[in-house]
Amino acid sequence: MGQENKLIKKIVDRYDGDVGMLIPMMQDLQAEHGYLPTEQIRCLRNRLKVPLSRLYAVATFYSSFRLAPKGAHEVTLCMGTVCYLKGAPSISEAIYKEFRVEPGGTTRDRLFSFQAVNCVGACALAPVMIVDGKYYDAVTPQFAIEILHGLSPADQTVDTAKKGDST
Amino acid sequence: MISAGTKLNSPADLESFAQSLHSSEDKVSRSVRVCIGTGCAAKGSRRLYELFLEAVEQSGKDIQVQAKCVGCHGFCERGPIVVVEPGGIFYQRVEEPDVAEIFRETVLGGRVVQRLLYEDPGTGKKAKEAEDIPFYKVQERIVLAGNGRIDPTKITDYIAEGGYSALAKVLSLMTPEEVLSEVKLAGLRGRGGGGFPTARKWRSCREAKGAPKYVICNGDEGDPGAFMDRSIMEGNPHSVIEGMLIGAYTIGSEQGYIYVRNEYPLAVEHLKTAISQAREMGLLGQNILGSSFSFDIRINRGGGAFVCGESTALMASLEGRPGEPRAKYVHTVESGFRGKPTNLNNVETWANIPQIINQGGEWFAGIGTEKSKGTKVFSLVGKVVNTGLVEVPMGITLRRIIDEIGGGVRDGKSFKAVQTGGPSGGCIPAEHLDARVDFDELTKLGSMMGSGGMIVMDEDTCMVRVARYFTEFLQKESCGKCTPCREGLAQMLHILNRITRGEGDVGDVEELGVLAELLEGTALCALGKTAANPILSTIRYFRDEYDAHISDRRCPAKECRGLFRYEIDPEACTACGICLKDCPADAITGEKKVPHVINQEKCTLCGTCWEKCPFTAILKV
Amino acid sequence: MPLHSDIKSIGKGKAVPTVTIDGHKVRIKKDATVLDAARRAGIWIPTLCYHPAVSCDASCRLCMVELDRGEWKQLITACNYPVRKDIVVYTSSERAQQARRGVMELLLARAPESKELKALAERMGVKETRYPNVTESQRNCILCGLCVLVCEEMIGQSAIGFAGRGVDRTVAAPFRQASEDCIGCGACAAVCPVGTIKVRVHEDQHEVEISPFKSRAKLLLCRECGAPVISEQVLAKVEIDCEEFRELLRLCPKCRRLQIAARLTIATFYEKE
Repeated sequence: MGQENKLIKKIVDRYDGDVGMLIPMMQDLQAEHGYLPTEQIRCLRNRLKVPLSRLYAVATFYSSFRLAPKGAHEVTLCMGTVCYLKGAPSISEAIYKEFRVEPGGTTRDRLFSFQAVNCVGACALAPVMIVDGKYYDAVTPQFAIEILHGLSPADQTVDTAKKGDST
Repeated sequence: MISAGTKLNSPADLESFAQSLHSSEDKVSRSVRVCIGTGCAAKGSRRLYELFLEAVEQSGKDIQVQAKCVGCHGFCERGPIVVVEPGGIFYQRVEEPDVAEIFRETVLGGRVVQRLLYEDPGTGKKAKEAEDIPFYKVQERIVLAGNGRIDPTKITDYIAEGGYSALAKVLSLMTPEEVLSEVKLAGLRGRGGGGFPTARKWRSCREAKGAPKYVICNGDEGDPGAFMDRSIMEGNPHSVIEGMLIGAYTIGSEQGYIYVRNEYPLAVEHLKTAISQAREMGLLGQNILGSSFSFDIRINRGGGAFVCGESTALMASLEGRPGEPRAKYVHTVESGFRGKPTNLNNVETWANIPQIINQGGEWFAGIGTEKSKGTKVFSLVGKVVNTGLVEVPMGITLRRIIDEIGGGVRDGKSFKAVQTGGPSGGCIPAEHLDARVDFDELTKLGSMMGSGGMIVMDEDTCMVRVARYFTEFLQKESCGKCTPCREGLAQMLHILNRITRGEGDVGDVEELGVLAELLEGTALCALGKTAANPILSTIRYFRDEYDAHISDRRCPAKECRGLFRYEIDPEACTACGICLKDCPADAITGEKKVPHVINQEKCTLCGTCWEKCPFTAILKV
Repeated sequence: MPLHSDIKSIGKGKAVPTVTIDGHKVRIKKDATVLDAARRAGIWIPTLCYHPAVSCDASCRLCMVELDRGEWKQLITACNYPVRKDIVVYTSSERAQQARRGVMELLLARAPESKELKALAERMGVKETRYPNVTESQRNCILCGLCVLVCEEMIGQSAIGFAGRGVDRTVAAPFRQASEDCIGCGACAAVCPVGTIKVRVHEDQHEVEISPFKSRAKLLLCRECGAPVISEQVLAKVEIDCEEFRELLRLCPKCRRLQIAARLTIATFYEKE
């Protein structure tokens, strides 16, 4: 835990070890990693001397905390009625076959997080896939795989990490 | 010689410092004020500020010109906003290429750039100053007076405008009892939604047994559509700090907290800057202004939970726990944060205090209605022409706000309802537009003033969907601790989902009523107790829409998919064939030069044709 | 039974306030609850999340009664309403009964398989629920929170806690993995009103498992016969000065009895001498 322990110590000292500032502490921790790693939470428990169950309760209660890393890219597949009729399920299957990721999950290499939503309201473009906010229309399984293979790798784009001190 | 950052050791120090600031301000002949509130910043106003700074630098030193960044004016949809003094020339929707022109023409040349002025959509009339704009004309800006004038990152601006003089007055001339009298005379009631008399709350906390005592500022503004507190915290953070200082002095507290929701990073930043500058100048910390009164403030942040706007949930969150409310049989003024006497007030409530002390409780009580004194900041949003923050005296009618200030419903549609009070409130229909807005009137109509959100809805809004939206919101935000809120909201949402899908049953409306009564009586906190208000108020005024959904499987507003039909208007159809080609269900038939027809049996109601038709020949029926 | 001593009021509240509950006058200590008063008066109010050994969150909302406030009547939870002055309470008014029934119906909808819940409902006069099952419960868990409270306040381990929010709220061990803070005492299972939590003994592995949390603790085996006795960690928490008694606890109940009997026999034998 050595290296990580230093980070936890820095964060805890930043708030004078005040447990009341647990949420800002966890926010600072998440800013470093993009999510809250389990081991870091354990280190935090060791430092603050509060039960692990309490830290877990706080980490899962507030919407801003993530316990699993998000992918570098966000992929959304529309499963609304029209997209469904026009073949969205086969796109989802193809993505699974190629990247081994199901809706709600993130690829192992954290390249992208994949979610299915119920109608993005762009039925004229069906089937619709949204990648990092960009809309792709009339998507086929093959086209989808092509788009996803073209995404830049995870280690270059951990977006939310803030290095250095934050106030 | 006192400068920014020097410690002020007495009220006299503060006064002479303020005067010295005035004399140096007098030397500035021209200034350009750029709004850097979140709304304008999102449209690139920070860059505008930088460009203006560069322009000032390059302009030479013979004319004293100043470029300043200021807080939210409240007219965010017209941002970025830039105001030039002297003259108060109000420019809206300013873009980077406009900077050079504004500087050359207006700042240096005193001429107006017509195309950047606000233009009334109805009359075409241009407005030179803010007061000429209908949006601002009817407003009475007391709490928001400093926004747009003060640079929120400079304490000197606040002091130059009389900031902290109320604190000085209190510390040197008033006892806590006298402050209480003044606030009581003012008749100030909590602005966060509860409307509890502020003086009474302060008194209860003052008299409570226990130490230490705490004061808290609730900056967790969570109602969707509300951003009043954001603009105060960003645009005039010192007004909140000064209010808290006065409150702490009165109650006997030495430690305060400001709890800001996670989604307001700029507010956190400006508050932090303000607190550190106040500490530097001896306005926070030990022996403030040389008196025996000590007080300091800590900022804590939310983690993303609407329920943390509830006072006991907020206090739990401040203690580093999940934001779960607890019973209030023993009030928080007796046992609150860490089990100690705690006084919690909303941002806007605190921000009103300095003016009440400076101008007197009687002055404040002269504004508003008999039971609701002073002004209120509302966030007027939705289907109005002018959206933004509006500060008006209590007692003004809804109609004046929506028509005179808001400019009426946009796109020529007709007014249907205005939703007030956020998820705890309700919808008010056209027949009650002359209702006077205050704490009690709207409650009689089945809604509430709440924290000030006002969402205007037009004829295309399905009121059942509105109820569904709020119910779903509350279900996601419920802490889940108590049975009625957690299970009851899920049951109500289940019913509303069925209704909006066309699977409603006769008796559903009555069932919703039963659940509403159950939640109101048995839920643990205000979130649960008022959760059914959106449903109840829409049933009260728009029962016919519920009935249409349930009995006829029809959505009168034509919003609920599957509950209305698409038909081709044979008079408007040019037989261009686009809809036929794009229909995923092959439900459209037609030949060249013959108006096309939708086969209702095959139609999946996806709306593709409606979106694609270039001649608006597809109607929702 | 009413107190006989009559203490004069001290400060703001009366030291011995009177609760008039369904017409019965009951005197109780200041800051005791309406539920305490009801029990003293012999009036039954259904509860789920209340337990005398731990603090009361009043989260289940089952014990609703009406408090007379003069101009209006307020629905309150009996289990945590502190009595500080004379009050009047109605437990069987139409409104109070309706409130309790409504809450029970919501619970039945959530946990339709729970026998205990159905039995409690019957006693309250609630035969069935009008609501469909729209939320998922983990093995009938009704989120009363007693397990969490007991582990935190009585046992001092906080091995389990709440996780999530709203309809996704559950009771879980951190990260939904076996908790290293769990000592396998089974107190959580003991207070669970609906049988969600179960203690499972794995004889072959000499372990006790608290299901569904997956937490396990090593079991001490009886020195004499090898049967599982108690979790080692639990025994470590018990402070007993007397060595003889400490040793007795390391035996299974049967062997314990035999040993005690043996000692008694010897003692009487010596006495006879």
